[in-house]
Amino acid sequence: MESAQHMLRTGRRGTLFEFSMALRDLAMSWDRRGLAWSLAWHDVVSRYRGSILGPFWITISMGLMVLGIGLLYARLFGISVAEFMPYVAMGIVFFGLMSGTINEGCETFVQARNMLSQTALPMFAFVWRTVLRNLINLAHHAVIIVAVIVVFGLWREMVILPALAGLVLTVLNLSWISMLAAIASARFRDIPQFVMSVMQFAIFMTPVFWKPDAFPDRHAFLTLNPFYHMLTTIRAPLLGEQADGLSYIVLAIAAVLGWALTFSVFAVTRRRIVHYL
Amino acid sequence: MKPPEVSITVTDLSLRFPVYGVDAKSLKKNLARVTVGGRLGSSNTGATEVTALSNISFNLRPGDRLGLVGHNGSGKTTLLRALSGAYEPDEGQIEVRGRIAALLDLSLGIDPSATGVDNIRLRGRIAGMSAKEIEGKMDEIAAFSGLGPFLAMPMKTYSAGMQARLAFAVATAVEADVLLMDEWISVGDAEFKKLAHRRLLNLVERAGILVLASHDTQLLRLYCNKVMRMEGGIASEVKDIRRIDELLAAA
Ligand SMILES: Nc1ncnc2c1ncn2[C@@H]1O[C@H](COP(=O)(O)OP(=O)(O)OP(=O)(O)O)[C@@H](O)[C@H]1O
Ligand SMILES: [Mg+2]
Repeated sequence: MESAQHMLRTGRRGTLFEFSMALRDLAMSWDRRGLAWSLAWHDVVSRYRGSILGPFWITISMGLMVLGIGLLYARLFGISVAEFMPYVAMGIVFFGLMSGTINEGCETFVQARNMLSQTALPMFAFVWRTVLRNLINLAHHAVIIVAVIVVFGLWREMVILPALAGLVLTVLNLSWISMLAAIASARFRDIPQFVMSVMQFAIFMTPVFWKPDAFPDRHAFLTLNPFYHMLTTIRAPLLGEQADGLSYIVLAIAAVLGWALTFSVFAVTRRRIVHYL
Repeated sequence: MKPPEVSITVTDLSLRFPVYGVDAKSLKKNLARVTVGGRLGSSNTGATEVTALSNISFNLRPGDRLGLVGHNGSGKTTLLRALSGAYEPDEGQIEVRGRIAALLDLSLGIDPSATGVDNIRLRGRIAGMSAKEIEGKMDEIAAFSGLGPFLAMPMKTYSAGMQARLAFAVATAVEADVLLMDEWISVGDAEFKKLAHRRLLNLVERAGILVLASHDTQLLRLYCNKVMRMEGGIASEVKDIRRIDELLAAA
């Protein structure tokens, strides 16, 4: 129906039509995936232009935090550094992916205002831009993960596949949360503040710096925290432990329901988003 | 299937801007007489709305070069943005066949802290060119911009005219059948204007259709063969450019 050669735009024609138009936007973003990638890459390069270390500055500050917290808390909690340091390292790096993707999601459409108001570029392309940018950052911070794996000899017990599955499920969930934040922030300017507060709160409520040993498995406190599931499905396998199968199931269900919700919101608001900006 | 012919078909197009965070009631008392702008009003849900386009219909075929005239706020830019696919109609239909190049804002996608070359790449990507196509055109774009070694410098070190040169060079490097332009051709020095003029004519010749919004009747006579007058979101008929004075006088 739509191609580079043919554009058809009409007034509202009922809900089904709005959904098909939203689907078309998604399909176009796949056709133009090179654009999302170029923009994401450009963001990373331009944010650190003129600095020598680039994104590794963040890596270094994360690394220092890992060292500091790893040493201090290991002592406080009476856990061995060899056990606690890799735990915290992965916690900080992967939570960074989560808070980054969600917080920056608030900017996705607001930042693209200029492009959205004068081109027919698919809106999904900008969602992928935010997600890809955060994955590029993660690739830099992975240095820390590799370091703890080597230093503490984790490679002997770790299992890669379940961790990768966890990462994929996590990114699937982060994308819809990020997109929902993008739409909401375009309409209501106080959403970014709100999202930031939630993420700040979440870093303490999620076992990033502490071990959930005090809670029995499947305590509601953990089960109801999506970030716990995201973190544990990636981290546990890398530490050579088995993540609870329930966490994978929760993430899979959340991804399906979350995307259904986000896609519906997008289908309904799509025409208006550019006017919100 | 025969290759789609280049055309623009607009049928009963209406477009309203919802305005958030403004109380329509407080606006109404100031609305006595205005010559500029679209119509302000409230939607049935009570939100403030600006009717920027109402019930516009026209047809353009290959070779048509349409000039849009009208007061400030009469809806020219909005119409161009709707034709580019950015704004969705509230009612009616827009159908455009052929590749669209919208040159509405020279600063689109420009990152001032990136170098000239990086900006060419970025802007090219946004315009829909592949990385390969851009590299293929790089030399030509660089030569046309006339910026030479400055292309390796960040855009923020450019003068306004230099920025315009670069933006113009990239924006006009795309292959397009339908060219949408908002008034901005008066960029650069005399020499560059001449170059730009030649390049535009060339582009217009290759493009099947041009839609150009401008307040400058000289300019419109130069580039267009048809003209349409907008007033408060309502469009006149499409007329021959020779009748532009008649159209402007008819207000
Ligand atoms: N983003 C927007 N939100 C709300 N109203 C808008 C927006 N953009 C334009 N309008 C309104 O739509 C109407 C048409 O504006 P438009 O920019 O199309 O005019 P124009 O003919 O291009 O004017 P000019 O000659 O000044 O460029 C105006 O009444 C303007 O107030
Ligand atoms: Mg205008």
